[in-house]
Order: sequence, then structure tokens, then C-alpha cells
Amino acid sequence: MAKKKGDEKVNQTPQSDNEEQNFDEEPDFDDPEGFVDDIPDEELLADLLEQKPKESDSYENVVVVDGCPQVGPERLEKLQSVINKIFSKFGKIVNEYYPTSENGNTTGYIFLEYSNPQNAAEAVKATNNCKLDKQHTFLVNLFTDFKKYSDIPKEWEPPAPQPFKVQSDLQWYLMDPDAYDQFLVGIGTGVALQVWQNALPEPLLMQERPNWTETYAAWSPLGTYLATFHWRGVALWAGPKFSQFQKFFHPEARFISFSPCENYVVTFSPTGDRGEDKKLIIWDIRTGQEKRSFPPPDEYVTWPVFRWSKDDRYFARLGQDVLSVYETPSFGLLDKKSIKIPGIRDFSWSPTDNIVAYWVAEDKDVPARVTLLELPNRTEIRSKNLFSVADCKIHWQKSGDYLCVKVDRYSKVKKDKNDIKYSGMYYNFEIFHMREKEIPVDSVEIKEPIQAFAWEPVGSKFAIIHGDTANICISFYQVNTGQAPTLLKKFERQPFNHLFWSPSGQFIVLANLGLTGGALEFLDTNDFTIMNVSDHYQMSGIEWDPTGRFVVTGVSSLKSKIDTGYYIWSFQGKILRRVMKEGFAQFNWRPRPPTLLSEKQQKDIKKNLKKYYSQFETKDRMRSSKASKELVAKRTEQMKKHVEYREQKVLEWNEQKPRRLELRNYMDTDGLEIDGSTTVEEVVEFFVKEEITVIE
Amino acid sequence: MKPLMLQGHERAITQIKYNREGDLLFSAAKDSKPNVWWSLNGERLGTFNGHGGVVWCLDVDWQTINLITGGGDSSCRLWDLETGKNIATIKSNSSVRTCNFSYSATQAAYTTDKAMGHPCEVFVIDTRTVDDSISSQTPTLKWEITDSKVTSMVWGILDETLITGHEAGDIIQWDLRTGKKVHSVKEHTHQVHDMQLSRDGTMFITASKDQTAKLFDTASLELLKEYKTERPVNSAALSPILDHVVLGGGQDAMEVTTTSTRQGKFDARFFHLVFEEEFGRIKGHFGPINSLAFHPDGKSYASGGEDGYVRVQSFDQSYFDYTFDYNRE
Repeated sequence: MAKKKGDEKVNQTPQSDNEEQNFDEEPDFDDPEGFVDDIPDEELLADLLEQKPKESDSYENVVVVDGCPQVGPERLEKLQSVINKIFSKFGKIVNEYYPTSENGNTTGYIFLEYSNPQNAAEAVKATNNCKLDKQHTFLVNLFTDFKKYSDIPKEWEPPAPQPFKVQSDLQWYLMDPDAYDQFLVGIGTGVALQVWQNALPEPLLMQERPNWTETYAAWSPLGTYLATFHWRGVALWAGPKFSQFQKFFHPEARFISFSPCENYVVTFSPTGDRGEDKKLIIWDIRTGQEKRSFPPPDEYVTWPVFRWSKDDRYFARLGQDVLSVYETPSFGLLDKKSIKIPGIRDFSWSPTDNIVAYWVAEDKDVPARVTLLELPNRTEIRSKNLFSVADCKIHWQKSGDYLCVKVDRYSKVKKDKNDIKYSGMYYNFEIFHMREKEIPVDSVEIKEPIQAFAWEPVGSKFAIIHGDTANICISFYQVNTGQAPTLLKKFERQPFNHLFWSPSGQFIVLANLGLTGGALEFLDTNDFTIMNVSDHYQMSGIEWDPTGRFVVTGVSSLKSKIDTGYYIWSFQGKILRRVMKEGFAQFNWRPRPPTLLSEKQQKDIKKNLKKYYSQFETKDRMRSSKASKELVAKRTEQMKKHVEYREQKVLEWNEQKPRRLELRNYMDTDGLEIDGSTTVEEVVEFFVKEEITVIE
Repeated sequence: MKPLMLQGHERAITQIKYNREGDLLFSAAKDSKPNVWWSLNGERLGTFNGHGGVVWCLDVDWQTINLITGGGDSSCRLWDLETGKNIATIKSNSSVRTCNFSYSATQAAYTTDKAMGHPCEVFVIDTRTVDDSISSQTPTLKWEITDSKVTSMVWGILDETLITGHEAGDIIQWDLRTGKKVHSVKEHTHQVHDMQLSRDGTMFITASKDQTAKLFDTASLELLKEYKTERPVNSAALSPILDHVVLGGGQDAMEVTTTSTRQGKFDARFFHLVFEEEFGRIKGHFGPINSLAFHPDGKSYASGGEDGYVRVQSFDQSYFDYTFDYNRE
């Protein structure tokens, strides 16, 4: 046996160390007497044995084709050519076997062997239950299946229960005793992600991972998951260690949107190669299952393509003259058909009710129209006709109490072929009072161009930035029951172009974003006191924390090359921290679910704030005194080390004194004061001040 | 206190220095005429005319007799301070980037740029033999720098060594008897723009474009402290009387237009020497600060900026009263 000899040669090497070697002669490769080969083949030739053909290898490559015509030897060749023609489509047939009965006829079943299991599986999938002709239908199975099915035990055994996998606490971030919020910082395009806790006295880095994502990252709407993007798809991370919770295979996915209750997630891969009808996929977050996929949306549709109702029960998308509403968990169209709305331009779900607001553009003699549609019963609960409409924007107030439709109206229109030119623009704000009977509508008209509009998330105020570039004004309105909205306050000549309401209302940050911007104003809208005016040069974005305690302004490296980083402010506009970070690209507070406290409980807390105030005050004092104690200890240590170092140096320096004197002509220049004996007195007159006084 | 504004230069200041007594302040700028001022009232005493271009560096000896300057006109000049006369002009092959008198002032060193096909070189000259008759001074010692060029320089302890800071961030200590490297450290990642000794010369502080300033031991080049900012640091100085450090810098001149002056990016920034903590800023310049110097009595400091001004700022009492909390045994 050739192989065995090889083994012996290998074994020779360690042996030869003990023997005297004679290089002149052919070395003796024979085993010494009494040698026992105790090294098994597996150890020496593991890699070769791996390749050794195994009996079971080709089982998976074999398919059994039943239901073939039974033919005599004279027609066997014809049968073979027909079979070959059909089955070689799936791969090369390396072996075939046509069993025959005693009379020489084929038995009606044949064995075909492919070169690999994939081809075999494909053949089974494609040809099983295929009709060859009227009488014959192929019944194709994998050879291994026969074994599997014949081995089924007679008695049914209940499957062994899977060991319970402890799911880490997904809501752990809400359990912090001090209710510190977390935030995400992205560096570069996927260079690194950091998750911080906004602790006092300074933020704590919870997690930092390089290349955690390839592009950006996103929190889910309630803050449970962190989504990252990879070339193979999207991954979700959760729990105290940010371990992988779920992954969705969707190559080159670029966009993501969560359903509001975090049951489903939509991914969109404009360039991925999973097929044209798999550009948009809806997944179940818990199970990771693909729920439904769609072809890519029309170009004019903006992300998110699918907009969800507040309870995850419905989602809708805009189409040409239709609104398609789907329901979960069936993922089919609601009532099996889309809602036909000729000329529909945009729609939006109420944040708190299953109501959709949509608007329809003008068409010849038909006016534009804003409609509120209740689902699933499709009742139009309110609609309003509007004339001379160029464009509409739908703004829901976050508590769902009001809806504002900003209507861009024109006084003149000029139509050249495909181009429509509007002139003499003016603007209307149509305010729908959702909580009142019959939903009354108020209207506010403003003649100047509108830069921004924002509802107070909680409450009944809204803010508008309007005016031409020379005189930008900011107006605050109050919505009233039974009467038109009233103007509360108007600030003129303002440098701001963006509005950022605190998530809990009352406070607002006015900002000037962009390369030439940076101005910031912190405003209390209860009495319109300006709490602070500041700036963050070239800031590109602002983020309120979910509780409305902190504001972050940032300069993203995607917008500016220098001074990238973020500042953390208190809601009153006190600067708390400046973080300069090269490549800073993204900042997001981790969202919080809505509070579980009832309105009455919240009111009670507000009422008894004084009681809690002192507790927090003590806590803050203790914290800061602890921090300062640590700092003092650190400084003391540093000073001690430095003093030791200096003492040593001064000693050396004093030793060198004679040589220093030598270098400077024996003049002592070590002291600060100038040696009197060597200096020459000199009177210098200084011209200090000139004053001209006119004497009358 | 209101600072003194010394207006005399037409272009950006490159380097400023006090003499040992602190009564005079010298300034060099890109406008070819170094100036000397009374530090007390900011009155200009005179100018040193002769250079044909940018003056990159200057130094004054301990007795305030001579001034040495080097500039972009490829010359290193010695001046008589009393008369303002140019004593000697030493021609070189490329711009003179740094020049310094030794402790004894019997020697001086200067370095040239790597440019126009000429290497970066270090020259050590004997200042006692310099006079008007010779236009080209033979150096007592010279050597070539093969890697990145010298951008700053100080003399080591007792005139035995020379320490050079380089464009790539290296700091090298040379033995002046042999011209060989003794120590070499690379603690900076970008150009070391400035180096200044402590009053006793046992420590020195570097200022680097990598947005930090660092404190080193002069003898061993051991890194002692680090002061971090968000801007390139052009100059750093050590207070002669307190454990304070002042840093100045800012964006490069090319990028200045994109920076808001309100941002305080051109402030002089004060750090505690030991704790490395910033405790104060002084506004004023509307361009980056290129050079800083403490008055030898430690009661005022001067800064020269890209804006062409030299500002002399005396400290208020609050500066001397300010202390950090730590346990003093």
C-alpha cells in the first residue's frame, strides 16, 4: 500500500534525531524493530482524507423519476433521449439507470445522477408533477427523500421543546433611575458609531464600534432598535449590549421606515439585485419574516412610500389617481381594492386616529379639495373646496387635535404648453379643529412668502416664518374654539429660517441653518421672553431630546469641512458642552415611547414640582461636589508629580550655575531683577498721552 | 486693562520677542522691516531696514547688543541695536526660517529652507568674529537635514545642544560638538511651528499645527504635558512667574475668510501648566495669532497676528488672584 509507506517516511523524521546519521549512505528508512505506528492517518492526512470520496456523497445528487412510460428494449433509446432532453436542462447528468423487469421492459421509474445537489434539487422543483403526455405525469423526488420518508417512526413523538432563550431587556434604556437620555453619534460615512448616555456631570460613552454601519444608522420610532445598513441588508440592534436582534436580507438597502408601533419595517433598495418586484420589502420585526414585497415606487413619490396608521393596522401608498390602503396582518388591500381618487396629490395619516387627510388638485372647472377620510369604513368626515390652488402642504399637529393645510394660492396663472406659471402668490392656512363637532375650519391668510410652519406638538399654538428676505418675520398664533386664530406675537427683522418646537411644547428654538447661518434664539412662548440668544456657526441641524430638556446643535462634516461637532444646550439656551469631532456626520437622540402616566398624574406632578425640586437640587449638588472632589484629587496628584520633577530640575540647574556664569561673563542673570552693579542708570522720557483742551 | 495696539507693520507678523529686561519688544513681519518698540507704552523706537523680503525670524542677545534676523531674501543679518546698523549679512541658498542666539550669545544658529534644489541646513556661527567686512560668514559648524525641514529651533542647556522642531512633527536634539543626533522624538503629527524655553531653560513648549501644544524636558526631550485645542497652534509661551501657558493660533490664512470672528477662534488661550486645563481667553486679533511672548516679569504678554498688529496686554489683578482648587500640603 503506497499510502502506508508515505506514513512511515513521515514518521522517520522525529526518530532520526536519536540516531547517528551517516550521510554518505542512503539513509535507512525502515522502521526500527519493534516500531509501532501509533499516529493515526486522521492526524497526519486530515486534509487529504477530507477529499476522499464518501459513500453518502452522491446520494443528494440523485433524483428518482417515477411515472415514466414503460417501454420495451426496442424503444428504450427513444425514451432515453426524451428524458435526457428534459432533465439535462438542470445540469449535467453524470449517471443514469433504467431498471428493467424480467421481460426486459422498463419499470416506469428511473434514476438520474447530477454532479451536485443544487441541480438535483432544481430538477425536482421544476419537473415534479409535470405532464409528459396525457397518460404520463412525472413524479420526481430526491433519492434521499425516500430514505427520509421511509424512516418515519410509527408513533408520533412530540418535538422536544426548545430551550427558552432569554431575550435581553429591550426597554432597558428607559429604566435609568435619573431618566438620562441616550444619543447616537455617527462619524464619517460608516466610519464609526457611538452611543452615549447624556449623564451628569458629563455624558458616558455606552458603546462605540468602528464600521458598525456602512452608511448611516437610525433609531426605531419608540427607540427600541437601532438599524444599521450593510451591503447585504439591514440589521437591528437592541438590548443593553446592543446585540444583533434581527437582520433583513435586502442587498444594497438604502432607505428604511418603521411602523409607528415597531411591528414592521419597510426597506427600500433602489439598486439591489433581488429582482424588480423586491425593491420594497415589508418585514415583521419580531420574526424577521418577509411579509410582502413591491416593485419600486414611481419617481415622484417621496420617501416614505408607505405611510402607516398610528396603530400599525393600516398602511397606504399614493398612486396615479388612487390611494392604496393595505391592512395588517394580511398585507392585502383593504376591501380588496384601492380607493379611486382622481387627481390625488398627497395624503397624511393623523398621528392619533385612523383618519387620512388628502388633497386633490384643481382640474378645469372642479376646484381643489381637502378631504378627511375615516378608515376602514371609508367615510368622508369633512371636506373643503379651495379655489386658485397652486400647491398644498398637510401639517398634522402631533397630538392630532388640529390639522393645518397650507394652501399656496395664486391670483394669476399663465399656461405655456407644459409649463404652468403662477403669479401674485398668497398663502392660506386652513385649520381643521379635529376634536370639535362637525370639524369647523378656520382660515388665516398671509400675503408674504412662507419660509416655515410648525405646530406646537402639545398645545394649540403654531409658528410661521414669513416675509421676503429683507424683512423676515416670525408670527405666533393661537387656535381658539369657536373663533378665528389670534395673533399672539410677531417678531420683525429676524435672521432665522427654521423653527424647532420642544417636544413638550411651550419652548421653541429659532435657528438659522446653513453655511452662512448660526444664529440661535431660545424662546418661551408662554410670555414670549427671549431666554437666550447665541450662535453655533454654520450649524446644519438641531435635535431636541425626547423629553424637551436638552437641545443639540451640530455642524455635520457632510455640510462643512471645519469645526464639525455638536453643542449640547439646556432648553433655556445655556451651553452645557461643546464637542468638536472630526468627521462628525450624524446625531440622533434615542426616542422614548409615550408616557404611561395619565393626564391627571402628569398634572399632579406639575403641581407638586416644588416638592421634587428640592430632591433634584440635593442630588445635583451631591453629584457636582463628588465630581469636584475627584477633580481636586486628580489635580493634587498631578501637582505632586510636577513638584517632584521640578525639584529635581532645580537641583540640576543650581549645579550648573558656575558654568552659566562662565558663559555670560560672570554676570548673574538668573534672577528676575537686574543686577544694580552692572546696570547703567538711564533716563528715558515716555510720551504717554496727548490731550488738546480748547480754552475759551 | 486696555491692550496696547502696536501698528507699524504692513503685513502679517511672523515673530515677536522681548529682550531679557523686558523694556524692548522686537517684531518681525512679512513686510521686510523688523521693528523695535518700548514695551511700556508701545511707542516705536525704530526699524531695521535692509531685508529684501519676508522676515521669518528674529532674536535678541541677552545683553541687548545685537539682533539677528533671517528672511525670505535668503539672508541672515546681524544688527547693532543701538544704532540700528546692519553689521553683517550672511547669504544663504534659500530662505532663513529660524535664527537664535545661544545662551552666551557668542554663538548663533540659523536654519535654511529646503527649496530651489537646496537642502535644509543648520548653521552655527561665531558671533564674535562677525563684522561688516565679511559678507559671507563661514560657519563653525553646519549640517544637512535630509528629511523634513526645520520650522523652529531653541538652544539646549549650556549651549551644548541645539533642539530643532520639524515640518513633519519631529523634535531632534543635536550635539553641537559633533553635529550628531542625540535624541529624537515624534510627539506631533504636524509641523512644529514654534518652540520656547521656560525661564530657566529646563523645559520648553512646542506649538504645532496638529492643534496641540506640548511641554518637554529640555535635557531628555521627555514629554511632560499636553494642551489640546481645535485649531492649529502657531505659538505657545510659558509664564516666567506662574504655572501658566498661553497658546495662540487659528485657521490658516487661506481659510480665514470662512471663519466667523465671533467664534473666538483667534483668541489667546490660557492653560494651567500642570493641570492642562484652560482657564481663560483673550480676544482681540481678527486673524490667527502667529507669535506670542510673555514679558520677562510675567505681568503682561504680547501677541503678533496675521492681521499685522502686535497687541501688548497687561494682566488685571483677577488674573493673579485666580487659583485652581487642589490640596496644597
